[in-house]
Amino acid sequence: MDRLIALIVTRWRMELRTMRRARERAVGLALLLPGLLFSSLLGAVLAYGGVRAVKAHDPDLLLPLLSLVATGVGLSWVLSPLLTGVAFSESHDVSRLLHFPLPLPTLVVASLVGNLLQPMVLAALPILVSLSLALSRNLFALPFALAGSLLSLAFLLAAAQAGALVLHGLSRQRRFQDLAVFVVIGFGFVMSVLPVLLLSGGARVLGTIARGLAAGNLVALSPFAWGLRAAVHAGRGDALGFTGWATAEAAAIVAAGGLSARLIERIHRGELELGRGGAAAASTPAVMALPGQVGALLEKDLRVAWRDPATKATLFLSCATPLFWLLVFTRTSGGLSAGGLLVLSMLVGASAFGNAFGLEGRGLGLLLGFPAPRWRVLLAKNLTGFALRLPGLLTLLVMGSLLAPPVLLPAAATIAVCTFLIAAGGDNYASILFPIVAPRPGRNPYGGPAAGSRGLAAAALGALFFAGTLVLASPFVFLGWLPMLLERPSLWLLSLPLALAGAAAMYAMLVAGAARLLARREPELLERVLSEA
Amino acid sequence: MNVFARPAPEGAGDAIVVRGLTKLFGGRPAVDHVSFRVARGRFFGFLGPNGAGKSTTIKMLTGLLRPTEGEVFIEGHPLERELLAVKRLIGILPEELPLYERLTGEEYLHFAGRMYGLSREETRRRTDELLAFLSLEEERGKLIVDYSQGMRKKTALAAALIHSPRVLFLDEPLNGIDPVSGRVVTDLLRRLAQKGVTMFFTSHVLDVAERLCDEVAIIDRGRLVAQGTLAQIRAQREVAQDASLEDVFLKLVAADVKRQDLSWIG
Repeated sequence: MDRLIALIVTRWRMELRTMRRARERAVGLALLLPGLLFSSLLGAVLAYGGVRAVKAHDPDLLLPLLSLVATGVGLSWVLSPLLTGVAFSESHDVSRLLHFPLPLPTLVVASLVGNLLQPMVLAALPILVSLSLALSRNLFALPFALAGSLLSLAFLLAAAQAGALVLHGLSRQRRFQDLAVFVVIGFGFVMSVLPVLLLSGGARVLGTIARGLAAGNLVALSPFAWGLRAAVHAGRGDALGFTGWATAEAAAIVAAGGLSARLIERIHRGELELGRGGAAAASTPAVMALPGQVGALLEKDLRVAWRDPATKATLFLSCATPLFWLLVFTRTSGGLSAGGLLVLSMLVGASAFGNAFGLEGRGLGLLLGFPAPRWRVLLAKNLTGFALRLPGLLTLLVMGSLLAPPVLLPAAATIAVCTFLIAAGGDNYASILFPIVAPRPGRNPYGGPAAGSRGLAAAALGALFFAGTLVLASPFVFLGWLPMLLERPSLWLLSLPLALAGAAAMYAMLVAGAARLLARREPELLERVLSEA
Repeated sequence: MNVFARPAPEGAGDAIVVRGLTKLFGGRPAVDHVSFRVARGRFFGFLGPNGAGKSTTIKMLTGLLRPTEGEVFIEGHPLERELLAVKRLIGILPEELPLYERLTGEEYLHFAGRMYGLSREETRRRTDELLAFLSLEEERGKLIVDYSQGMRKKTALAAALIHSPRVLFLDEPLNGIDPVSGRVVTDLLRRLAQKGVTMFFTSHVLDVAERLCDEVAIIDRGRLVAQGTLAQIRAQREVAQDASLEDVFLKLVAADVKRQDLSWIG
């Protein structure tokens, strides 16, 4: 018992110290708490009102509906570490304690109890109390209904712990981790556009699916809901029903705890480490096909990007995003105007904030260890940025050709390229002067130098560079737009090459200046990036 | 005490000349007016306890960190003003290995060769030889992220050698390498030294340093406390002529290895 208490107290003490010593976390929590309190109280009111309304209108629907909601909440809670990327980056805290002679159940219970002080868990308590109040027909039933609800919460925490351990164990296999990161980013994108899709008629489909699940009562099999089912029976004064479901939920909690203990043991013994996932020998020759140092640098970046799941996912999303916006354009305004296509081209071109040296992390020491002239390094980085944005640009142009007059396409492409040249040239200065060092693989993606006030400053800087790019690129954009303004398309034959030449000249000047700056500040840049990476 | 009371002039026979090298972190010296020189073709060991300033020094010598004060010449080139020229001449094996993990070992060596300006054919020839020599042939198609620590080290060493450098900086080169590969690597380094390549080598394993190095420098708390051959240092510091490098090292860094027993053990 002493060891259990020591473990729990140490965990809470560490969490408090983390907040005290990291101002941005304390500020984040201060901002989060009122919101959490509000949503908790709102949830409590909605839960009370919702349960009362269902009880009044369709009492038979109460059990399946509550079970469905509990299952949905439970599954999203268990999968939330995966969606935020934390499960794949943070080692589960119990793994640091495994070399002490502690019984595994002690570790599991300590971890579970330690989780009780999490703000999200505390915020769930008012909702459960109001839910129990709404379910109870008299005060005598209230404690039993509350006990049932709390059993559901306890199972949810135990399942979340077991789920996190499974993810942690699986994340040791590089291929699984890569696949999961790739899928999760795509899933995150779908979730982010879901509100728009729901507004455009998708809600009806979801409603039909939910009604089907509730009618079939399949959710009765979900252990996330067994405690709540016990609470419903307690509220109705059905002692047998309460005892049955509560016992089942208690057994599920013990089973989840046992599974956690078994998983910890297997992770400790390396049994969940499914090998290093070594690839078979490559059959294609490894020779760098592109010529010269710039070619080798570009090819290296492209190969690395294609094999990095996060970059690959971003590449696919760069195609999906213009498609999505073009879809929105067509549904809201009935078509894409000529001005709209040119503005979109400019925005796609201007989004070249690459943070190339910050993303290199510790690899920067390697990169700048080679005796390549620095302008070539910058040029290669910019070419990589362009190559990675090219699919998105091409998607935009193809979609634009279907929705806008095809005669606009050369102007749209020229505007995008001109804006990109200016953005990339300017971004080199940001990369050298203000690199935002990416957390190392396997570290918390939301921690480190990219977090807190530095992260905010980076976002502000990005916005500043974006605005600067639009200003600097405006003469070339104007050249692309002028023939349309004058309604003389033949002028494009002159204005587009002129715009490209002007933007290229400005890009060359920007790169030459950035190369000189890099040569001067190379040790400082390395010192900063290597110390933070 | 610095054995170099007078600054060493850079001579035609010196591969590395360091004068008054200093690095302050937050006003505190991590490296404090260090001066030494390494003659061309020497196997030079740079030794010191943890936190003595070895890695900071090696970073300054390879251009990864700007010194607060002092000068460095590599093969006669001033590092500060001719950084790229120096980088063409040196090879670096850092203690931490920031390799491009999503390239295969073979691709990485091809990339390194091209970055040093080698032709495609020459890069391919040297890559094949290096992979065979370092027993990495079977793993050539694997991504580096799937390599073991020893394989990463050998890959980084291969990349440091591919352009035939004149000075090699090796930070703990034998850490994480199995004994068989360790012997292959030490034999290779010895042969390179015989061919005139200068080795600047740090290690915690003093018997390896004793076997390999022609000359050592010992740094403690940012200051150089000795430099020379083992015999010279023994003579300078009045240490017994049969004393090992470890004995000399412990005496120079004033490490008190005599401790009281722990009361509850035994």
